[in-house]
Amino acid sequence: MVSLLSLPIASVDFTTLPQQLVNGLLLGAIYALIALGYTMVYGVLKLINFAHGEVFMLGSYGALFTAWALGFGPNGNAAQGSLLTLVLMLLGAMAVSGSMGLVIERFAYRPIRNHPRIASLITAIGLSLLLQYGGQVFILEGKKQSIPEKVSPYQSNIDINIVKPNEKLLEEAKALQPKLDAATAAFKEKLKTEKSEFDLSPQGELLRDEVDKLTKEQRKLQDDSKKGSVLVQIAQGKLIMLAFTLVLMAGLTYLVMKTKMGRAMRAVSQDFNAASLMGININTVISFTFFLGSVLAGAGAMMYSTFQSAPIDTFSGMAPGVKAFVAAVLGGIGNIPGAVLGGIIMGIAENLVSWAGYSNYRDAIAFVILISVLLFRPGGILGSNKVEKV
Amino acid sequence: MIWARNRIISLVIGFLGLVLFDKFILGLSASYDYVKIVVMMCGVFVTLAVSLNLINGITGQFSIGHAAFFQVGAYTCALLSSSVFQSFSQKQPVLWLLFAALFGAIGAAIAGFIIGLPSLRLKGDYLAVVTLGFGEIISIIVRNQKALGEAYGKPVDKIHSVFMVWGLAVLAIAVCRNLLKTAHGLSFLAVREDEVASSAMGVNVTKIKVTAFVIGSAFAGAAGALMAHTKAFVTPQDFSMDVSFIILTMVVLGGTGSITGSVIAAIIFYIIPEKMRDLPPSIPMHVPVAALFGIIAAVIGMRAVQQKIHDEKLKAAGLYVLSMIGGTIVAFVLNLLLKAVPPLQATIIGSNLRMPVLAITLVVLMLLRPQGIFGHHEFSLDWVKGLFKRKSVATSGGAAQ
Repeated sequence: MVSLLSLPIASVDFTTLPQQLVNGLLLGAIYALIALGYTMVYGVLKLINFAHGEVFMLGSYGALFTAWALGFGPNGNAAQGSLLTLVLMLLGAMAVSGSMGLVIERFAYRPIRNHPRIASLITAIGLSLLLQYGGQVFILEGKKQSIPEKVSPYQSNIDINIVKPNEKLLEEAKALQPKLDAATAAFKEKLKTEKSEFDLSPQGELLRDEVDKLTKEQRKLQDDSKKGSVLVQIAQGKLIMLAFTLVLMAGLTYLVMKTKMGRAMRAVSQDFNAASLMGININTVISFTFFLGSVLAGAGAMMYSTFQSAPIDTFSGMAPGVKAFVAAVLGGIGNIPGAVLGGIIMGIAENLVSWAGYSNYRDAIAFVILISVLLFRPGGILGSNKVEKV
Repeated sequence: MIWARNRIISLVIGFLGLVLFDKFILGLSASYDYVKIVVMMCGVFVTLAVSLNLINGITGQFSIGHAAFFQVGAYTCALLSSSVFQSFSQKQPVLWLLFAALFGAIGAAIAGFIIGLPSLRLKGDYLAVVTLGFGEIISIIVRNQKALGEAYGKPVDKIHSVFMVWGLAVLAIAVCRNLLKTAHGLSFLAVREDEVASSAMGVNVTKIKVTAFVIGSAFAGAAGALMAHTKAFVTPQDFSMDVSFIILTMVVLGGTGSITGSVIAAIIFYIIPEKMRDLPPSIPMHVPVAALFGIIAAVIGMRAVQQKIHDEKLKAAGLYVLSMIGGTIVAFVLNLLLKAVPPLQATIIGSNLRMPVLAITLVVLMLLRPQGIFGHHEFSLDWVKGLFKRKSVATSGGAAQ
């Protein structure tokens, strides 16, 4: 018989664990941004906005087109971006997503707000199919695009050595360098007199073997020196991304907790009818919530496609959308700190699964976590369990 | 015993209809195989929609991962027919189909039992998410199994039988319908309306929910097994999240809880995308854009009619037609105007419009008729008679005045 679960045998290297945790945290920050949109809409409307992933997708197109407009397109001549480029792209993505969110709310959700919830869910699914497949027809013929790397001036990595590599071996490897250079030069000199690189004379072969041997030796020393060392590498761009995320989250917290609109939002999410009796304009609040959530998704989209270099096509919102949705449910849907927590857990879990050697199953882990959490704590981690009364 | 006689008569008529269809109408068509496959796939989707309707519409459990059971059935059958039962399936193809459906049903029923268990604790959106998640997990596991052909898929013997496929569909319809007419069925409906109240009235809510999941998924599994042999190939793409959504769409558009609605919606929503494969290979872009705006205009008009006019049905119907004509005019005028815009002169591939058209239909129908085409109603002779009765009462009333 066939074994049903032919899982690969995992090979775990603990020295790369800190790196994976950091990567997971950075990815999780983006999931958290998208999850905030799901959670706020759910909090106010009790509606799962299935089209949120597509709002995210449109946001990444917003970032792409802004970059193209700034001269980073296929025929553009801009050389190197600056912080301003990144901020403009962020604003472009947020503007596209935000306006899309408003349009979707106004024309697809508002007309059927008073009908059974399943109707709005189906509309959401329909919209998301429409944006995916319709976009495939109309936007750039659905070809995969990616944001050019040169938009970001922050290309280099920051290395943090938690356990330093063996310096003695590194020194030895460095000491080999002059020898290697000399051998390479000699080989190149010889190559000029040869017929081709693949048809060498015996002397040429000797020289080539010498270069190979030295290269291998040096590489072995370098590898040996790294054994047991723990290195965390963070791309500078990802730090910028984290900074953007933190600023946005702080802004959101301020907005929800300190402003009049935020208070109205919280009131609507507590009791829809009572809030409207207290003179709160429900339509404005709901539109604003959609706008806010979509703007955050747009910001997440710009960062996901720029700093995580994710390719963009009209289906690219699906996977991050679903994961962010899981993150929102995991943290307790309707709960803003919960969404952030859920997003970070999701990001880390995903990276840990790949780290453990099961990278084929990295999309499944989202649902495995989700199902186990829901079974033992149906309200999510930070959510509250409501007891139903007759 | 009148009901039994009626039942038997309708079964016989249905069977004869199938025979006629198989022998004559299909035979007349030039592309015999293609039409036959479309007819059989309609049967498969009818079974899927009716079985999901049992879970979603009748029991009120919000499941959006029906493709998972479909997939379990199809792969169970693919695996068995290529290994243990290879010689049997080649010697006795039609008999094997019966067994394939049975094995598919058993495999999917086990999956349905496992997925049904969390539904005891979860409800509404949370249950929806869990079913979606289970679907994705199953799909990812299948994609990573060498024995199941990974992402590429697995060839299966081609066995075509319109009777088996539609027989299964009829069985699914009969089971659901008869369930609704018995005391058991009442407890399913009770669970849909109010779980707490029905458990207070002595309904075993746990048992009902799990039963609904097991029966619904068993039918989906059997449909999967038959589809594997119809298409002669199983591949994970046939069971993606989109397929779950399409099945759900069929149920909701037909009217949750209405078996007739599911059947009709399943046929319509399988045929429309299938027919759209024949669209011309290059269409200038301004045509669909203008059509989209025409649809939007018509929908705005029809919604306005819905909100303003409540009693006068004839006037409403007239205004509906008017707004549709208005939408068509908008589309035509826009088409002429947009022709002049250079970026819209680019051409697109017609058959790529399949999914967008399906999605637009979905959104428009939801906006105009959220309860689905049939609502909670069933198509029956009594219902048709009722329609005429009401009309005749109205006309006689009018005459008296």
